This record gives sequence, C-alpha cells and structure tokens, in this order.
Amino acid sequence: MSTTAEQVPSEVPATDPAALLAPAPVGSGLDRRTVLRGLGLAVVVLVVGLFVPDVISDPTNMGIATDGVVLGILALSIGFLAHRSGLISLGHTAFYGASAYGLAIATTSWDWSPMQAIVFAVLGGTVLGLVIGAFVVRTPGVSFLVLTLAIGQALHQLVVQDSVRETTGAYDGLAVTWGADDKVAGIAQADIGNAATFWPLAWVSLVVVLVVLWLVGRSRFGRVLEAIRENEERARFSGFNTYVPRLIAFTLSSAIASLAGALFALKASFVSPDTLSFVTAGDSLIAAIVGGFATLVGPLVGGVVYIYAQSELSDSGNLQLFTGIALVVAVVFLRGGIVGAVTDGGRKLRTIVQTRKGAGR
Amino acid sequence: MDLAQLLNGLAYGALLMILSSGLAMIYGLRGVMNFAHGALYMLGAYLAYEVTQRTSFWAALVLAPLLLAAVGAALELGVFRRLQHRSHIEVGLVMFGAALIIERTIVLIWGDDTLPVKAPSALDGTANVLGTDYPAYRLLIIGVAAVMAVALVLWLKRSRTGLHIRAASHDTETAKILGIDVDRVSLVVVALGAALAGLAGVLAAPYFSVQPGMGQSILIMVLIVVVAGGVGSIGGAMVAALALGLIQTAGNVWIPSVAVLVPYLVAIAVLLWRPSGLAGKRVA
Repeated sequence: MSTTAEQVPSEVPATDPAALLAPAPVGSGLDRRTVLRGLGLAVVVLVVGLFVPDVISDPTNMGIATDGVVLGILALSIGFLAHRSGLISLGHTAFYGASAYGLAIATTSWDWSPMQAIVFAVLGGTVLGLVIGAFVVRTPGVSFLVLTLAIGQALHQLVVQDSVRETTGAYDGLAVTWGADDKVAGIAQADIGNAATFWPLAWVSLVVVLVVLWLVGRSRFGRVLEAIRENEERARFSGFNTYVPRLIAFTLSSAIASLAGALFALKASFVSPDTLSFVTAGDSLIAAIVGGFATLVGPLVGGVVYIYAQSELSDSGNLQLFTGIALVVAVVFLRGGIVGAVTDGGRKLRTIVQTRKGAGR
Repeated sequence: MDLAQLLNGLAYGALLMILSSGLAMIYGLRGVMNFAHGALYMLGAYLAYEVTQRTSFWAALVLAPLLLAAVGAALELGVFRRLQHRSHIEVGLVMFGAALIIERTIVLIWGDDTLPVKAPSALDGTANVLGTDYPAYRLLIIGVAAVMAVALVLWLKRSRTGLHIRAASHDTETAKILGIDVDRVSLVVVALGAALAGLAGVLAAPYFSVQPGMGQSILIMVLIVVVAGGVGSIGGAMVAALALGLIQTAGNVWIPSVAVLVPYLVAIAVLLWRPSGLAGKRVA
C-alpha cells in the first residue's frame, strides 16, 4: 500500500480513512482544567448511568442495553485504532475471543475465582495484542487488514480443531461456571444472566474505557499518533519514533477488546467459536464505522444500534442485509457515521439559526 | 502425496487463481480491495444452479460469466467510478457492505439450503491420468483455469487494451495524461474481474456445495492469496493461488490435524517477511 500512495500522487491519502471520515479535531490538548472538567463529567455520567436499570424495567430492553455496551466496548477498541492510527483491523476478534476463552478456561477448568479469571483474561489478551502488534503494526493499509484477518481466522481454526476439544470444546464451545460462593462485583453465578444485575459491571467498565480513550486522544501521545497517521515519513523525519506509539496504540486497543471479551463471556456464561468468527470481526468493525469512530462515543452508539437491530431482525434473518446497507450508507453518505451526522446536523442548524438572527437584526 | 491428491490441490489452486487474478486486476487499476469478490463468486454458483436446472451446465458456463460481467459493469459505474476520489479503504468498505447485501439477497431468492449442481454427463466419470483414475470434471477446472491464465497474460502483454491496463495500473495519473481513458479501461477490467469470479463460481458449483457460506470462506483465501502474492500483481496472485492450493493439499496429507491452519500461517509468514507481497509491485 505504501507503493499506492506514491503511485497515485493525488490529493487522496490512500491509507488514512479516518482523515476523510472525520471532521478535523476541534481543540485538543490537556490542561488541568480540561482534565478536571472531563473527569467530573465522567463521574456524573457514571453515577447517572447506574440508575439505568431503574428506568428500563423491561428485561428484553435491558438485555439490549447491556449487550450493546459490551459490543460497544469492542467497537470502541477497533474505532480507537482506526481513528488514531488509521489502522483498520478485521482481527480484533483474536483478542476478544482469546480473552473470552481465557475466562472460560480459567473459571471452568482451573476453578479460579471470576475476578482472578477476568484479570487473567484481559492480561492474556493484552499480551497477545502486544506480541501480534509487534509484528503487524509496520504493515501498511490493506495488508494490515488482511494480516489481522488471517491472524483472527487462524485462531478461529485453531480453537475448533478436534485435537483441542479437551480445552476449548471445539464447535460445542465452553460453559463458564464458577464456585457457588464466588462473586464478581457482588454478582453470583446464578444472577449473572440477569441484565439489570450485570449492568453496573458493564457500565463502570465502559466509563473507564471512555475516560482512558478520551485522555489518550487529547494527550501529547494522541497528537503524535495522529501525526504518524497523517504522514508516517514526515513524523519519522521530524524525529519521532513512529513504531512504538503505534505498538502502544495497538496494545491498548487489544486490551480494551479483551475487556469486552471477558465481559461477554461472563454475561453469556458461555463461549463459542462465534466470538472468533469472520462475522463477529466484520460486524464489530461495521458497528464502529456506522456509529462513527471519529467521535468518542460513536462506536458505542454503533454497538447499541447493532444489538437493537439484531434483536429486531433475528427472526427474519435479514440482519446481514441491513448491516450491509447501513455500512454502505454510512460510508457513502454520512461520512462521520451516525454521531458525526448528528453533530454535523446540529452545527448546520445552529448556523442557520444564527444567520436568521443576523438577518432579522 | 499421490497424483490424485496433487491434482486436487491443483484444482483448488486453479479456482483460487481464477478468482485472485480478477481481484488483483481490479486492485491494480482502482486501488480498491474488492471485498465483494466472494459474493460475486457465490452469485456465479447460484446462477449456474439456475441455468443448469433450465438448460445445461454448458450454457451456465457461458451465461453466468456474462451476467456477472454486467454486474461488474454496474459496480464500476455505480461504485468505483462515483467514489474514485474517496480513500481506497472507504471504497473497500462499501464493497464489503455490497457483499453482505448481495449474499443475503441470494439467500432470499434461492433459500438457505445446499443446492446440488450436477457435472455434465460427459464429465461425470473418471479419466485415466498417468495410470490414476481421476474425476474428469476436476480436470476440466484445471484445464479452463490454465487456458484462462495463458489467455489473460497474453492479452495483457500483447493487446492494446492490455497495454493500457498495465499502464493505468502502474501509474493512473501519467496514463491519463498520455491520453488513456482510464474510466473505460476500468470498466473493462471490473467487468472482466467480475466475469472471472462468476466463472470460478460456475466451475466450483459441481465440485463444492452451493451454499450460503461459500462466498465468505473463499473470500478470506483469495484475499490472503492476493496480498501474499503482491497486491495488484496478477502474475504474483496466480502463482500464490496455485501454491496455496498445493500447500493446503500437502497439509491435508502430511499434517491433517492442523492442515486448516496452514494457509493462514503461510500467509502470515509471507506478509511478515515481505509486507508488499512476493511479487512486490509488478503488474503482470
């Protein structure tokens, strides 16, 4: 792909979709006031969010909200990497699935407590991300996409092998069971399937992820990442190490995907090879794009919308059709995804209102 | 590995070769990875089922690629040409969405079930290849792929259009300045690429099962082939496709327990060793 950039010396940068999908970042930088304001807002959001189960009483809708948040965290990890590094990954299922399997194996086979298992699963997924990232982040553009796809699919094939049936359950998957006395965040095994009970764990994880991504995005490190995304060569000639920041971004992204995988396995009490499938990889990427990964909450919105659509369309089997249409519409017409379109619309409306006011005077 | 297994590897590699040469051509010209290639292949197979039901397999072998060429032309006019000023990855994502739409539409028309397509009666039996009895139909796949490969390379190297394709793939801007109508060349290339995907679909229909997951599973292999062969290089893609078919078969014979992993591991190794693929940047 690096050759393509040279080959087509047009105004179109071939390898940074984010630049085109995203409006230019409005104001960045981190001073103490901004940080305090952001953290304050996060605390408010955190506390208010904990009351969601009181508002949504219907268990089906609560289930959609919880699953949406978990998928949203996965989409956030993919969107972060795409936005900040311009690296589009079709292989984040590797970390998501590895972590889900890690949790299932640690609890069910090794009798670990669920809290230990979560730590193990997320750490395991992160280390996997670090190792894979060390090899792949140098690979540009489409090669990166295909390489991550190949790695994710290799893991999928590995897990469904008959020779590892003892460990992974092959196509049957693995149940997640832990001791009757053990609790995770105050939830016992018997209640974990209840979305309202599970919600606080998912919500707190989400807010922590959002705060981390926000801080990273606004930090100097985030600016360096963007400089590398815009023009790797120029950043390198300006004296920046361009490899380590991308590796850190990839590892952080895989850590977040691992967190989503662990949450998914806990909530479902079951892990299947689907967590590693091409469909999961594609749909979580689509959720990030349709939601709009150029904004902080875009991928989260995409994840929730996807889960909602899934619950509405699962009977007809047309989910795939609408996912495809949503992706085409989002890329061709909306550009910044749902959230981008909404903020754009808001800005336009404000401009219209202001011009009207100006004209009235 | 005996001769029959070797030929199986060749037949699979031949299908991958037909698919990946089309994908590589489109990539070379438009810079876009056509994620709908697997869906086009699937459409070819389902059209083969439909036409074979009504007339004969031989009619399908001609008709399906022609219909797919029309689909390709529509994709060029509706997607590639309109979005040529967008980033290549964005257009690739649009094709990814198009693939989902096409695949689901196919299932809505023909249903979820696996459909049977019979090989033509003349090729139903086995043929004797150097003392081994081998299904004659699979020899047809290898034969068609070989003819296609030679014809394609000759066309690219000798004809005027081929020259224009190579020029435009190498450097679109300069080709435009020199008076090559890149949009027209692209129409030819995308229609031909889609037709080749349809041809592969028809050929695969009696060999593999015609079922809803067929496009996705082969797409992954073809992407690996094209990227490992060197993105945009048709020759590289052809060689990589044959190699992958043979490697996969060898894996099945020698290390059956992990054979399905072999293509991925080889591709990962190749890409880590040479990120721009085996052939680097050579068009044909």
